[in-house]
Amino acid sequence: MANGWAPFIGLIVLAIFCAGAWFGSPKGENQTIWRSTLLLSAVSMYLMWAITFLAQLHPLISPIREDIRNLGH
Amino acid sequence: MAPTKDTMFRSADMSLTQLYIANEIGREVVSALGELGVMDFRDLNSETSAFQRTFTQEIRRLDNVERQLRYFHSQMDKASIPMRSIYDFNNPFISPKASEIDELADKSQSLENRISSLNESYETLKKREVELTEWRWVLREAGGFFDRARGQTEEIRHSLDNDDAPLLQDVEQSGQGEAAADRSFSVMNIGFVAGVIPRERIAAFERILWRTLRGNLYMNQSEIPEAIINPETNEEVSKNVFIIFAHGKEIIAKIRKISESLGADLYSVDENSELRRDQIREVNTRLSDLASVLKNTKSTLDAELTAIGRSLAAWMVIIKKEKATYQTLNKFSYDHQRKTLIAEAWAPTNYLGLIKSTLRDVNDQAGLSVPTIVNQIKTTKTPPTYFKTNRFTLAFQTIIDAYGTIKYREVNPALPTIVTFPFLFAVMFGDFGHGIILLTAALAMIYYERKLQRSKLDELFSMIFYGRYIVFMMGIFSMYTGLLYCDAFSKELPIFKSMWKWTENDDGSLGPTATRVEGYTYPFGLDWRWHDTDNDLLFSNSYKMKLSILLGWCHMTFSLGWSLVNALYFSTPIDIWGNFVPGMIFFQSIFGYLSFTIVYKWCVDWAARGQNPPSLLNMLIYMFLQPGTLENPDQPLYKGQAGIQVVLLLLAVICVPILLFLKPFYLRYEHNKARALGYRGIGENTRVSALDDDDEEGQNLNGGRESFGDDDDGIAMITQDIGHGGEHEEFEFSEVMIHQVIHTIEFCLNCVSHTASYLRLWALSLAHQRLSIVLWEMTMKIAFGFTGITGAIIMVVVFYMWFALTVAVLCVMEGTSAMLHSLRLHWVEAMSKHFIGDGVPFEPFSFKVLLEEEPVE
Repeated sequence: MANGWAPFIGLIVLAIFCAGAWFGSPKGENQTIWRSTLLLSAVSMYLMWAITFLAQLHPLISPIREDIRNLGH
Repeated sequence: MAPTKDTMFRSADMSLTQLYIANEIGREVVSALGELGVMDFRDLNSETSAFQRTFTQEIRRLDNVERQLRYFHSQMDKASIPMRSIYDFNNPFISPKASEIDELADKSQSLENRISSLNESYETLKKREVELTEWRWVLREAGGFFDRARGQTEEIRHSLDNDDAPLLQDVEQSGQGEAAADRSFSVMNIGFVAGVIPRERIAAFERILWRTLRGNLYMNQSEIPEAIINPETNEEVSKNVFIIFAHGKEIIAKIRKISESLGADLYSVDENSELRRDQIREVNTRLSDLASVLKNTKSTLDAELTAIGRSLAAWMVIIKKEKATYQTLNKFSYDHQRKTLIAEAWAPTNYLGLIKSTLRDVNDQAGLSVPTIVNQIKTTKTPPTYFKTNRFTLAFQTIIDAYGTIKYREVNPALPTIVTFPFLFAVMFGDFGHGIILLTAALAMIYYERKLQRSKLDELFSMIFYGRYIVFMMGIFSMYTGLLYCDAFSKELPIFKSMWKWTENDDGSLGPTATRVEGYTYPFGLDWRWHDTDNDLLFSNSYKMKLSILLGWCHMTFSLGWSLVNALYFSTPIDIWGNFVPGMIFFQSIFGYLSFTIVYKWCVDWAARGQNPPSLLNMLIYMFLQPGTLENPDQPLYKGQAGIQVVLLLLAVICVPILLFLKPFYLRYEHNKARALGYRGIGENTRVSALDDDDEEGQNLNGGRESFGDDDDGIAMITQDIGHGGEHEEFEFSEVMIHQVIHTIEFCLNCVSHTASYLRLWALSLAHQRLSIVLWEMTMKIAFGFTGITGAIIMVVVFYMWFALTVAVLCVMEGTSAMLHSLRLHWVEAMSKHFIGDGVPFEPFSFKVLLEEEPVE
């Protein structure tokens, strides 16, 4: 079950990144654009990763491949 | 007023300013403001027509200069003399003095006269040359005709005497009647007409002659081998020389008339061969004289045009700016004594300082003691919406502006769109390899940005170039989603250890089933073992479908959140309690719950529980059709599922009437309360025109604007909002109610349809993946089957084919389709949740914009 914590660990990483992006964004008139772009990118990338990870956490089906016999060994 | 920083999040803070400009420096001020490009001037003379305005005369003069410059340009095109590019000038954007403009106008006038006279003489000379050339041909050909005709005078006369005799009989038998050769035509009263005629008319010409003269003629013709160039149109025409012999003066006159009407040019030819030879000699000398004169004229003209071409682009820019300046000045109004120009313009508040200092500079340069005054006016008019864009944000802002103009100070959807648009695209386009292609293309366009901007691009490519930063973001996100989907050109990417192991059979072979590596989940993206399995679609479909719903839910919740931000900003609490809160509860209690169950179902280890996982689709159906019951009551998703679902459903149902009635009834209550207190809308009963009233009242009516009282009463209209129109709308309950009914129905239905709409993310990513698999299997996989030299050759050919198809079909075509779907998700699904969008676009008077719209090539 240790795996199940991965999204939360990812969340912490995300939070750290977001904080870094918020304060590290170059000052000036484009600061808003930097902040919004970096934060939103990070959040959406995290979301998609987490969804993909969760979908495989407890898979209900496993791969079946008939032609694997010919390929193996 | 504390100046706030203008960001892309909201429109820049705008203020309506009034300028009082001394008449003498009006042109200079406007020109300087045009360079600045931050003021949107209002038309203060909208009721007057274009001809009645003050500076019509100047504009007309400039129009004339512009026409002359265009004439030079067309002449240069004709002579194929290149114009010096606008980018080669050091600084063509310096605004010239009025005297310089006058100089330029005079110069262009004299140049036009010179060029056109040169042109005229050139054309006349050319025409003369053509005539001489034609004459020479006629003379040359006519000799042969005469010799042949002389041999046949007998027959000609015979045929003329005898109507039955066929014309042109025995033409080949020339030389028979040598005895008669010396007899002159004139003796026999035979006249002739010689000339040239365009080749395509020759058939008609013959037919007409034949019919009108009933065959009483003898015609000879030959083709001129070289084409004759018409100097007026510069077209090549191939022509024929003809000579017609006929009997009698009337007939000759008739022939002349017919030939001229058909566009033939007639030339005099002498029948005496001696004289003819002299004529030829004379024509030749005249032709050679003409050629040298022509050459001189041409070189003078070319030199003149080359000289013009060196500065033509700069002149065009100057005139264009000058014209725009006067057109803007035409929007200004005057004070009573016509000493001061009064202008009204919207400008970003943060630029006011810059505007003021620019005006001061202009004043100092002109050495005027009267300063240009900048006043800020308070007004009830909607300010225009303005976002300062840069290279990166421009295309994203254009996407949003294409849908509608953002309301002033509303949340700008373009800011999140910078990420969400390419990201949703990438969810549909997820392939690491295709992402690399996109990114490379975008980087190349960004690298050669300057060069590409200056060159002429075709329509499709210029569109892609315009969106190069969108493509850049798309490329990055496509690479990321490609990694998550574990697809690179449809092949797997085994980065980490797989979580699946093929089962080993007793005979040492593998599969067909797999077992999971205990306690290990593939850490990043989809497990690559799913590639090429028999049931990979079963798995990836379920995953991508849920991914779409979850991403859609996130995107819509995010968008709905902006409506709260808007309501808070515009301080309309009724929009929070009447629209946002019930809407949000409705949405979350159905689709938020669905998203929750999806994630929850993933998190539970159903095999360890020894339970069959319930179907989410059926759960949702039961939730609506039989609230309180489950499909398998003994196997719930979680404890108390039935009860919670009933509560959620009730919440959603309760929200509908709140959404429907709260806002209109609250507005009616507010309105009635205000009425009871005796307030009336401005201009509801009486309309007081500020312009007609005296100073004091005018100012009070217009909301106590800053007054400017140290002038005499000549400038009474000084702080009035010129052209103030009543923008107040009367409250109409039925209208508000109908509006809210539509909003409610739309919102509730859209929650369902929009969630379903996000399934396009799944559908398109599935299509993209399948298509790239098919492409691989039809090309590269077959090519791998060959070995040896043939194999190598086939490999190379097939590889190029595969790559070309990948770029054309998968990247360009599929990419366009994914982009359009992403566009739709933004315009419809996301923006319908919060976009108000009844703004007025900010169109500043700017030379830069002007030159971008009408480039001087």
